[in-house]
Amino acid sequence: MSRLFNFLSLRRDFLWLKILFAIFTGLVGAALLHLIIVFSLPQFSQRDAYTRIIAEGESHRFYRLGEQPDLAGLSKEDPMMEMSVCSFDISETPVRLTAPNIGVPFWSLGVFDASSDEIFSINDRTSADHVLDVVVGTPAQLAALRKSLPRGFSQTVLVEAQQTEGYAVLRSFVTHKSVVPVISRFLEQATCAPFQWRTRVQF
Amino acid sequence: MFRVPFLVAIALAIAFGGGIWSTRLALDATIGFGAIKLGSWEAFPEAQTADADPYAKSHRANAGKLLYATAEGLSFTATTDDSGARLSGSCTYQLTGQTPTARFWTLFATGPDGRPPAADADLPSSLNSRMVGRQPDGSLDITIASRARPGNWLASPQQGQFRLTLTLLDTPAAGSSGLIDLSMPAIRRIGCGNV
Repeated sequence: MSRLFNFLSLRRDFLWLKILFAIFTGLVGAALLHLIIVFSLPQFSQRDAYTRIIAEGESHRFYRLGEQPDLAGLSKEDPMMEMSVCSFDISETPVRLTAPNIGVPFWSLGVFDASSDEIFSINDRTSADHVLDVVVGTPAQLAALRKSLPRGFSQTVLVEAQQTEGYAVLRSFVTHKSVVPVISRFLEQATCAPFQWRTRVQF
Repeated sequence: MFRVPFLVAIALAIAFGGGIWSTRLALDATIGFGAIKLGSWEAFPEAQTADADPYAKSHRANAGKLLYATAEGLSFTATTDDSGARLSGSCTYQLTGQTPTARFWTLFATGPDGRPPAADADLPSSLNSRMVGRQPDGSLDITIASRARPGNWLASPQQGQFRLTLTLLDTPAAGSSGLIDLSMPAIRRIGCGNV
């Protein structure tokens, strides 16, 4: 009888060992899976900023964001900041981002690539005459542009981007309700158009 | 008889359950490493750059937020007061001190749903640097409460926990790597209930 009991407890010990081993294997697997998800999520995420901005509509134009999340799931994240977003693709021509100086208290522009890494940022104080004028292009495009810089481009900021896709976010600060009309006009007049490539034929 | 499938099932359940759960937890709880912490305020000056750590990149890909670039500003958030207790809508807080150098700042409280308050809300649920009155030495003294207060009043949500967001616009703090000595306003609890 006691021998049988010993045999049973031994078998049970083995079972516990095996269960422990299974749990250990599971934990190692969990850690691996955790790392795999964390490292690969930026590649397959359908909820990232760039995917959402593309879902706003066609590229090369600014979309104003409202307080409630729109169909793409984007909204203003600060009640006192008005913002517009624009997606662009510079594989063929550079993109030119412009906005006039009409006296908004503050504006800032952030340019990001498709993986939401910052390429460039500027605000009204760091720009010339508080005018937004930025051309984003690939290194080859900008080299060609610099070679024959058209007239009226002396104040333009040329930004090199390694990736061909990206987005721009234009923000303006609402210091008081009374400046909302000016800010609305500023954001409506902002452009995010493919750069008009004038060849030397013109001259 | 079913021992081996049973063991395999245990291992797989722990691997998938634990892996997914821990990832969700990690991405919800933190925006990544590399935070600058000043009192109960927390900011991530590198979260939008290519230098961000994998957790920060994963979090921003999942959250889909439009982050402030370096020349734009830096957002600080606080979920606790200076004693470490969670900010609660039933309590009254006093925000005193200086912000780091910035051209402007905005301050608002986010309720449990995570949505910022409306810009045309009836109560002053968001403040900015142009609106508030200063102390003679230029420092801030803002009362955060759900009921109206004299002086600078920021309306907090009626009940539940809330989070404060203080965004500095055009600030050298955004390029900070801990070299600049920054200080943020202190958040002190005055009392709870009808005080």
